[in-house]
Amino acid sequence: MTTTAEELDNDSPAHPGEHHDHGPTDTFYFKIFLILVAITALEVSTYFWSSWFGKDSYKVAVPVLLIMMVVKFGLIASFFMHLRFDRRILTRVFYFGLGLALAVYIVAMSVMNIWTDNGNTRFNDPPPNAQPTTTIEGGAGG
Amino acid sequence: MADIALEQVEDLEFPDDIHETATGISNPKLAMWVYLASDCLLFGGLISTYLLYKNRPGNIPGLAGSPLRASELFNIPFTSMTSFILLMSSLTMVLAVNSIMRGDKQRMRLWLVATAVLGGLFLGGQVYEFTEFVREGLGYTSNVSASAFYTLTGFHGAHVGVGVLMLLSAVGYSFRRDIQAEAIEVLGLYWHFVDIVWVVIFAIVYLIP
Repeated sequence: MTTTAEELDNDSPAHPGEHHDHGPTDTFYFKIFLILVAITALEVSTYFWSSWFGKDSYKVAVPVLLIMMVVKFGLIASFFMHLRFDRRILTRVFYFGLGLALAVYIVAMSVMNIWTDNGNTRFNDPPPNAQPTTTIEGGAGG
Repeated sequence: MADIALEQVEDLEFPDDIHETATGISNPKLAMWVYLASDCLLFGGLISTYLLYKNRPGNIPGLAGSPLRASELFNIPFTSMTSFILLMSSLTMVLAVNSIMRGDKQRMRLWLVATAVLGGLFLGGQVYEFTEFVREGLGYTSNVSASAFYTLTGFHGAHVGVGVLMLLSAVGYSFRRDIQAEAIEVLGLYWHFVDIVWVVIFAIVYLIP
């Protein structure tokens, strides 16, 4: 059984992920761009949610914003940066760095008590201590 | 016969005389990805610092303590427009890469110049924003919150500036010599990363209350 150059080029077992002359078209990239613009518009709209839906809307807006941010990040990395079409090792290298950065700084921010902000203008305060229990000393002595 | 076919494929896939490596990825491209992965740590540190100090503008002993916060001065419609400009520059960059992949150098130059112009517009927007903030009384040393904000967005702006210089250099170089498609692709990776970082900054710094 012979393998033609065209067949190899199409599913690229010899060089999976290397560039091809017939990669995604300009129209494809334009569609990705339109999706990114739509997501950005939705992101910007969350800024006005508090005036439209009330102050509590931020409870929904924050997770929605984070999800949209991740989707935009993924779309740009996968398609514009060609991670989806390129060798897997590149995806691993990049997301390893990203994961490391996320882990390091989530730990660092946790150590600095960012999750327990109670309005101190100097530093984030540590979590409040448990109420000390009162003990009766020397109850029935003597 | 399959060996002959493989050789033909190699001819197809390495048109710019790029040497094969053990990983099958050229060294400049792998190096760029490793650099981008390490840059995640740099921007992660800057974003974390801003998050830690954004609500603590003043009253730190020994430091300047203007009570003004950067977040009180944000002009979201304006920043949204500059974000859109940077997003559009990502499209023009990927179109430049696609053009050189097809061997169309003229169109590649056009898209690279468009990307550089859009990058320049974004930088102009950032300079305008900083100028407005300073006019409102929020300088780099006004408080730690302001320092963290200017350092983060300033570092991003510096990345954009370096990107614009590289884009213009690539255009100039392409007139004098044959430019490799992969060089433009590697440049594109850097540019898209700058856009990705702004996606994160825009959401976390500007939009999340």
